Amino acid sequence: MRLLKFLIVAGAALVVLAIAYVAFFAGIEAVLRWYFTATNFTASKVPNFAHNLRLGAEITIKLTVISSLTGLALGLIAGIARLSQNPLFRWPAQFYVWVIRGTPLLVQILFAYNALPFLIEPLWKLAQPWGLPPIQDVLTPYWAAFIALSVNVGAYNAEVVRAGIQAIAKGQWEAAMSLGMRPFQVMRYVIVPQAIKIVVPPLVNNVIALLKDSSLASVITLLELVHQGQRMISITFRPVEVYVAVAAIYLILTTVLTFFTDWLEREMARRGTTA
Amino acid sequence: MEPIIRMENVNKWFGALHVLKDINLDVQKGEVVVVIGPSGSGKSTLIRTINRLEEIQKGRIVVDGIELNRDVRNIDAVRKEVGMVFQSFNLFPHMTVLENITLAPRIVRKWPREKAEQIAMELLERVDIADQAEKYPAQLSGGQQQRVAIARALAMQPKIMLFDEPTSALDPEMVGEVLDAMKELARSGMTMLVVTHEMGFAREVADRVIFMDMGEIIEEGEPDQVFSNPQHERTQAFLARILH
Repeated sequence: MRLLKFLIVAGAALVVLAIAYVAFFAGIEAVLRWYFTATNFTASKVPNFAHNLRLGAEITIKLTVISSLTGLALGLIAGIARLSQNPLFRWPAQFYVWVIRGTPLLVQILFAYNALPFLIEPLWKLAQPWGLPPIQDVLTPYWAAFIALSVNVGAYNAEVVRAGIQAIAKGQWEAAMSLGMRPFQVMRYVIVPQAIKIVVPPLVNNVIALLKDSSLASVITLLELVHQGQRMISITFRPVEVYVAVAAIYLILTTVLTFFTDWLEREMARRGTTA
Repeated sequence: MEPIIRMENVNKWFGALHVLKDINLDVQKGEVVVVIGPSGSGKSTLIRTINRLEEIQKGRIVVDGIELNRDVRNIDAVRKEVGMVFQSFNLFPHMTVLENITLAPRIVRKWPREKAEQIAMELLERVDIADQAEKYPAQLSGGQQQRVAIARALAMQPKIMLFDEPTSALDPEMVGEVLDAMKELARSGMTMLVVTHEMGFAREVADRVIFMDMGEIIEEGEPDQVFSNPQHERTQAFLARILH
C-alpha cells in the first residue's frame, strides 16, 4: 500500500516536472525571440536563432542532469571506498580522486572525446561480431562529455562524501560496534543516514558548478548553449548581444537550480534532528 | 568456577606510551567490579579492550570462553555478549528511542520487529522511561538519554555490561536516576564492570573495587576495605583527594 502511494506521488511529480520543463523552455524560446527582435537581428532569421539557442540550453540541462546523477553514484561509491579498511577498495578510489582533481576538466573532456576511442578500440573490436556499431559513432561529443563530466564531478563528490562520513562522531561507530553490528551495517543504518544531511548542500553545489562546467564541452563540438552562441556570432558578427543572451540563460538556469537546492536544504533541516 | 572474563598479562601501547602494564584480572559471573583511578590511569582503556574497541599487543583476553583475537567471528561473538554504556551516551540521533533500542536486536540477532519492540518496551519500563519511546534523543534530558543507552545495551541480552564513566557527563541532579538503574541491574545478577568516580555507588553494590594508576592495578579488594583501609600509598593519596 505504501509502495503504491509512493509510485503515485512519484508519477505525479514526474508529470508535473515534464510539463514544467516543456513550459520553461518554450518560455525561454519566446523570450529569446522577443530579445533578438528588440535588438534588431534579421527578422526572418530570429525564429531560427531563438530556436537554436533554446536547443543548446536543453542539451546543457539534459547533460547536467544525467552527469550529476551518475557523478552522484560515483561519488558515493568512491567516497565510501576511500574509507575502506581494504586496500583493494581504498587505493583505486584514492587514485581516481587524485588524478581527476589534479587535472583540468578541459583536458579530461578532450581526452574522453579524442583519446578514449583509441584506448577502448582493442576491447571494442572483440565485441564487434555481436553487432556493436563502430566506436566513433558511439562516442559522440554528447556521450564523451557525459563521461568526462560524470567522472569529474564524481571525484569532487567523493571528497564531500568522505568528509561527511568522517564528520560523524567516532562515538556513533563505537556504540554501534559495541552492539555487535558489522561495519557495513553501521554504515547503512547509523552513519550514512546522518552523513546525508551534511553532504547534501555541498553535493548540490557541485551540480550547479557542473551546469557551468558543461560549457567546456563546446570545444569538442557539442552543440550545447555556448557552441550555439558561437555559431550565431559567426553568422551575425554581434558578440555583445549573443553573449549577453547566453550568459543570461546560464544565470536563469543556475538560479532555478538554486531555488531547488535552497528548498532541499530547508527540508533537510526541517526533518533532521541532531544529538 | 571458570571466570566469565579472564585477562592474562594484558599489555597495550599507544605508540610509545605503555597504557596497560601486565594486567591480570578475572571477573566471575554476576560480579560487580568498580574501577577507580586518576585520569590517564588506563581504566577506560582497560574495559574497552574487553569488547575490542581497543586492541592489545600482548597477553590474552577470554570472554565467556571465547578467545578475543583477530578472528572476526570471535569479535562478533564477544560483542553480542558484552554491552557497553558510554560517557557521552552515543544514542543514534536520527532514530526514536524505540528504534535506537530495537535496531541491533533486529539486524544482529535477527529478531522480528514485534519481539524486538516488546523486549524494548519491557526494558524502557525497567529503566523507568516507557513514556518516551517515540521521542528523539535530542528531546530527552541527559539522564533520560543515558537510561535509554542502558536499555539499548540490555536489549541484546548481554552477559556482561561495561560502563565507561556513565554519569560523568550528567548534571548532578540526574546522576541519581542513572545510578538507580545501574543498582537495579547489579541486584538482578548482571556481571558489571564500571569505571566511575561515584564512590557511593561502589560502596553500595560493588563486590570488588580496583584501583588503577599509570596502567597498573595497584590495589583491589572489597569496597569497605579499599575505601576505609587502603594499603598502598598511591591508593591513599588518590582517595584522600577524592573523598573529602
